[in-house]
Amino acid sequence: MQYQYSEEQSLFKDSLRKFTEDHYSYEARCALAESEQGFSNEHWNQLAELGVFGLNVPEAYDGFDGELALLCAVAEECGRALVLEPVLPTALLGADLLRLAKPELRERWLPEIASGSARFALAWEERASRGNPRHLHTRAKVSGDQALITGEKLAVLSGADADQLLVTAATSETTVGLFLIVLEAPGITVSRYALVSGERAATVTFDGALGRLVSADVAQELQNTLNRGLIFLGAQAMGAMDALMASTMEYCKTRKQFGLPIAAFQALQHRLADMVIACEKTRSLLWAAIQADAAGDSDKAAAVLKAQVGEAGRYVGQQAIQLHGGIGMTEELHVGAHFKLLTAIDALFGNRDYHLSRLSALALAQESARLAVPA
Amino acid sequence: MMSEQTEINLDSFRTEVRRFLETAPTPEILEAGRKTTSVFAPFEQAMAWQRILYDKGWVAPAWPVEYGGTGWNVEQRYIFLEECNRRGVPPLLPQNIQMVGPAVIGFGSEEQKRELLPRMLSGEDFWCQGYSEPGAGSDLASLKCRAESDGDDYILNGSKTWTTYGHHANKMFALVRTSSEGKPQQGITFLLLDMDLPGIEVRPIIGLDGFPEQCEVFFTDVRVPKANRVGDENRGWSVAKYVLEFERGGSAFAPWLKPALERLRAQCAAPLAGGGNEGGECLLDNPHLAHKLSALEVDALALEHTEKRVNASLKHGENPGPMASLLKILGSETLQKYSELQLEVSGLDALPLQTDALHVGSEVDLLTPEQHLLTMPYYLNTRAASIYAGSNEVQRSLLAKAVLGM
Repeated sequence: MQYQYSEEQSLFKDSLRKFTEDHYSYEARCALAESEQGFSNEHWNQLAELGVFGLNVPEAYDGFDGELALLCAVAEECGRALVLEPVLPTALLGADLLRLAKPELRERWLPEIASGSARFALAWEERASRGNPRHLHTRAKVSGDQALITGEKLAVLSGADADQLLVTAATSETTVGLFLIVLEAPGITVSRYALVSGERAATVTFDGALGRLVSADVAQELQNTLNRGLIFLGAQAMGAMDALMASTMEYCKTRKQFGLPIAAFQALQHRLADMVIACEKTRSLLWAAIQADAAGDSDKAAAVLKAQVGEAGRYVGQQAIQLHGGIGMTEELHVGAHFKLLTAIDALFGNRDYHLSRLSALALAQESARLAVPA
Repeated sequence: MMSEQTEINLDSFRTEVRRFLETAPTPEILEAGRKTTSVFAPFEQAMAWQRILYDKGWVAPAWPVEYGGTGWNVEQRYIFLEECNRRGVPPLLPQNIQMVGPAVIGFGSEEQKRELLPRMLSGEDFWCQGYSEPGAGSDLASLKCRAESDGDDYILNGSKTWTTYGHHANKMFALVRTSSEGKPQQGITFLLLDMDLPGIEVRPIIGLDGFPEQCEVFFTDVRVPKANRVGDENRGWSVAKYVLEFERGGSAFAPWLKPALERLRAQCAAPLAGGGNEGGECLLDNPHLAHKLSALEVDALALEHTEKRVNASLKHGENPGPMASLLKILGSETLQKYSELQLEVSGLDALPLQTDALHVGSEVDLLTPEQHLLTMPYYLNTRAASIYAGSNEVQRSLLAKAVLGM
């Protein structure tokens, strides 16, 4: 039962902390978010040198074959310092899904992911999908190794900055396929924008764009990868919530009103206590999800975590602003930026409501399976 | 018989209001209405709309008739606001009509009333509020901005903050310290001043949606005539409390919320656009979301009838006293719930924060269907509703004291 980072994982986490301490002062972060690209190639390369992009790549392809906990350590530090480099799409989603590809594609791309020289993005969410990867309007007409893809994908993380897009599309009424498309391919329109939290994303539309088939039926593998993505987002939210707790407690201890530090008022003490409870519940469920992933079945644990992150992130974010008062509503403090990150995380990869309904569906399926077993 | 007659009158009143609203606002004013991301509408168009209402005689329905009010009853005032919001015109900026106006009417000299009230109504003057200071937020009475007596003038030194639209204002109503004797509340004076006086510096603060809505205002040896005082020296706290109770309780949240909820429901009933779903599924197919909309409607109705019940018990020009705290908590928190539900409804379409597109007259291409444009800035800005006009924590303490009789 692992509920905290091992010594080795902590050392790695410390190296990330050092990276953010060197490069991610709040002022530097704001300037970077305002820049055209929205993140720094130099930072990207430094993250590559730290080994971040090889964590999830098998050793056979020059990676470290590391545990999910290591990626979560990265995510936590990214959330805490509001890192803008898009780690999740390449290091986790891309590296996971490319393992499903034919050997030639794996050999072509996995070592480049590990070294940080290729960037990937996963285009899977749609306006009507609301978190459900099987609920697709994007269609693929498969012919041999290739397919023509038509549809629209929203909130594609770093979608305009990737060398290659991994795209999900329906290959029949019941199957979801995965395809690899070069960003510059004809029939693709990409509109790049900044998420409310500052990270870059894109709306991508495909109008008969030609893609390479990775796999014609990936539903469960895709869900597994998304589960791991959900856990990464949970860890990122955890880092953001911890940062908000630290500055809110500090502020309440130093801000004086009515002649006392506001932390002396019981109403606020109880609020802070409730915020701590929300954080600790989340931390426990984060570790439960990391364990479930290691055990090979994270469907339930990932949904539980994301549902918790939605609620706790909103509560902690909102109350951090409330307790900071007016100053929390400005861009002068990092509080608003962390709040925005938590707001974006709730909406990405299915919000709390979606994951609650997913839990209900999982429970129902389990119950049906139990009843179907002959006595 | 009586009630039937009242109903008919209200219907024809509603028709009259609708007829006026059909043609009165310009396209720019309506665009500003669609791009209002908080309680504060875009300045220029909000003032243009105020001028149109002024010319119609409808700018300050709640004021006493002798100062420019319409004499409408609570129901009529509600209908008017509701129809304004249904039409999508921007809300009037509250500073003139809801804040400084009632202070001058309640405590000002005849000369001040004669000179200032018409210009407040017409929008010739725009007033900002100088209450909070860096060290005096929830504990407003601890304010330090000093006004020293010098013959017929006060000399002002200090600063104010969270002054909404201070960079647009030509006048300020401020609370200043004229004495440090006794309880902090006792040495405060309510003062009116011109924003172009030498020694005043205004610095806008960038908010979470990327817009400068609030300002810091710095005073260095600013000379203000004592004749600009409202009420007696050192008695400004009672004026301020009176105004705050207007600010908290007098602004009706429900007439805004009701049409907003109608729009949200309609949006949820429409097929989700794009990606080959035309005529297909809609969000109301999700029973959880339908449930949440209904729950919010319960809150909105509770708010509406509480507002009406409190306001119906008041005469023109009266303020709601401690009930103001209840209305402020209820109103701000219901607005926040609305903004959260709107965020859920917009889903991924809420995620781009399209600051450029929010300027009136902007021709930037939208990244999402237009109904989602406001979702995120509105959600972010509405966090302030439980902070401004006295934080909800302070309001809960006031309310508890009032009901406990302590």
